[in-house]
Amino acid sequence: MDTASTICTQSLTRRFGEFVAVDGIDLRVSRGQFFGFLGPNGAGKSTTIKMLTGLLAPSSGRIEILGLDLAAHPVEVKQQIGVVPEGMALFGRLTGYEFLNFAGRMYGLDRETAARRTVELLDFMQLADQPKKLVTDYSHGMQKKLAMAAAVIHGPKVLFLDEPFEGVDAIAAGTLKAMLQGMIARGATIFLTSHVLEIVERLCSHVAIIHQGRLVAQGSLEELRAGVEAQTPVHGERLVLSGERLTLEQIFLRTVGGMRRTDQELSWLG
Amino acid sequence: MTKAGFTVRASQLRAIAWVRWRLFVNSLRSTRGKLNLVSRLIVSLGFAIIGLGGAVGMGTAAFFFVSEGKPGLLVALLWPILFFWQVFPIMATAFTNNPDSSDLLRFPLNYGSYFLVRLAYGAADPATALGTLWSFGILLGVGLARPKLLPWTWLVLLAFAAFNLVFMQMIFAWVERWLARRRTREIMGILFLLLLLSVQLIAPLSGYFTKRPRPEVRRFAELLIQGQKVLPPGLAARAIAQAAASQLRAAFNSLGLLCAFVLAIGYCLHVRLLEQYRGESLGETSATRVLPADRRLRLGWNLPGFAFPVAAVFEKEIRSLLRSGPMLLTLIMPIFMLIIFRFGPVNSVRQSGPAIPGHSPGLAFPAAAGFALLTLTNLVYNNFGGDGSGIQFFYACPVRFRDIVLGKNVTHASILAIETAVVWVAVVSLFGKPTINMIVATLTGLLFAATVNFSVGNVLSIYSPKKFDYSTFGRQRASQTTVLISMGVQLLVVGTAVSAFWIARRYGNSWVANLILLLLAVIALYAYRAVLRHIDRVAREHQEMLVAELCRA
Repeated sequence: MDTASTICTQSLTRRFGEFVAVDGIDLRVSRGQFFGFLGPNGAGKSTTIKMLTGLLAPSSGRIEILGLDLAAHPVEVKQQIGVVPEGMALFGRLTGYEFLNFAGRMYGLDRETAARRTVELLDFMQLADQPKKLVTDYSHGMQKKLAMAAAVIHGPKVLFLDEPFEGVDAIAAGTLKAMLQGMIARGATIFLTSHVLEIVERLCSHVAIIHQGRLVAQGSLEELRAGVEAQTPVHGERLVLSGERLTLEQIFLRTVGGMRRTDQELSWLG
Repeated sequence: MTKAGFTVRASQLRAIAWVRWRLFVNSLRSTRGKLNLVSRLIVSLGFAIIGLGGAVGMGTAAFFFVSEGKPGLLVALLWPILFFWQVFPIMATAFTNNPDSSDLLRFPLNYGSYFLVRLAYGAADPATALGTLWSFGILLGVGLARPKLLPWTWLVLLAFAAFNLVFMQMIFAWVERWLARRRTREIMGILFLLLLLSVQLIAPLSGYFTKRPRPEVRRFAELLIQGQKVLPPGLAARAIAQAAASQLRAAFNSLGLLCAFVLAIGYCLHVRLLEQYRGESLGETSATRVLPADRRLRLGWNLPGFAFPVAAVFEKEIRSLLRSGPMLLTLIMPIFMLIIFRFGPVNSVRQSGPAIPGHSPGLAFPAAAGFALLTLTNLVYNNFGGDGSGIQFFYACPVRFRDIVLGKNVTHASILAIETAVVWVAVVSLFGKPTINMIVATLTGLLFAATVNFSVGNVLSIYSPKKFDYSTFGRQRASQTTVLISMGVQLLVVGTAVSAFWIARRYGNSWVANLILLLLAVIALYAYRAVLRHIDRVAREHQEMLVAELCRA
């Protein structure tokens, strides 16, 4: 294993019966990287993030986070990571304050620190103006912000985010992005999945693309761009004009073999 | 309406019927769906028997009322039909969220079609089927007694059925609005349960008033009897009775008033449905008040002698339970049962029959304490059921599962302790103070029973979880496997306790039972510790199943 990496997997595989959701992937994420993990629907992104955070056991393979084997040291690893999983993992019958306070204490903070950080995070996430409201009555965006606050309350060194900006308004998204970039500047590592390629392109320094359970590309955006530009365009495809840079969307579509339909199809539309 | 418009409308209604059929067919793909169908068929058979039996009974009664020249008494049949038709559907939904038929509004459905679809949904209800069958029984009874009255009775009962159908839909449309919000759903749930419980008090109250007749009660009853004559069941019965007495003008007036009720209720339904049709939002998040930001520092609870995570879980559980009206109401049930046993109808058996646990001062305390433990089993055997997707948090955080489970057990043990204390006070005030021997026996027995239940409950909570919602009453039972094993455990515990008392009786010293129960409690505590030691491994092995079951939408 690569001991210099913050996140390192070796032949990570997950099967559901006959179906192989994740097929022997080797990920390398270094300290301080803002890492985007991309893939089409059903490619295995959420399954991978669940395995990396201990929410799902791998069928085979090995995971190391911050140099620790996740299978051997789950508690030690979890103390240093934060996670916003797919279902957000909230307790609906608590208020936002109570939930964050609870999360802080479960991550080992003392009572005073947990309470202080709870107040700060609620204020930062603009959730402090509805103190009596139960989490179950929060809007989707508010729940997302709360889940994010719970994931960072203990100051994790590595943050795993599954679709963190889904359903979050533009103002809150700006706040979250600023917070995440601040974490990166202070040396944290962020592993993020998102379908919004523009956000990934703007935030992430490194990207991996998973397709049908296999890792098909991994590296910095420039490395991926160079790799795709070196490929021969498929018949009739206009990849890039001279002086233009490939967008992440173009890289993604070329990598996973996505095809744009012609405008002759569904001609009855509009 | 143009012919093209009619064709589109008919096509839409056919599409809705088809999609309902496909939903049913697709539900049979899973084993759970097939089992549901079987249970529905069994329930339907039961309904058919009740329906046919009721129709025969109603028909016979109607035949006698009309043959004896007292058709006005038909009102005694029509009121129960109305009551059943309106109350049963609400009971059957058991205050859970219903599928929202306003989903159809995304399609270009006109208001008339929407109204029709809502009525059609109502017409397919078991209450409508049974109500119609019973009304048909009355029609046959009246027709057999006075064949000439048959067409008129048919017309009157048709109007009565239309009233019931529209009235039920109107109630549902409003109930749907209230059930859409968590808080109103809880309030309605509590009111509903209180209504059901208060039925238990009818017998003692009527007994009380029979012994002490009061003129004001009699006057009130007479007023009620007069008042009901202008309500739909009274009007329907009067319309038939007036026709039987050849008072055709009065009969037409009564039928006219009944039809006016149908129209008035239909208008109320129209108002509600029109609101829905125009895009009314019944979501949880509307109308929230924005308050000044709360920046007060409130420390979490501390639980002396326990680790931080245990205290945190304890606080979370207590806060969640305190916000669940339905759960709190379940927890006060032992007190209510004590009151019912003390003053309820079973009281009459006390003199002549065998000793009933709740009636004997000596046995009231152990019986009520045991019942208090039983009311907790829903929580104890499904520890994570109320956490929903929050279960992922437990797996993601750096805490051993044994601490989480211990936190939950401490919560349940604390509730049991408080309930036992409250039950003791209630027993002392209602039945008198139990003997010291009985108090010790109850407490040691409770310690043994609770520890056994916690041990088995912890394992089953992971092996056989089921998601439930704290804010609703209905369908909150644990899985069938859990229910069966839980019943087995209760039988085992009761059997063991009875054996202990039997042995004590053989030795002629009741303290022997206490000693045996204490020994059993110590053994159970060892078993509990062993379960806790292995719970992390069990939780890890069943992680996927537990998360999948509890995160299910």
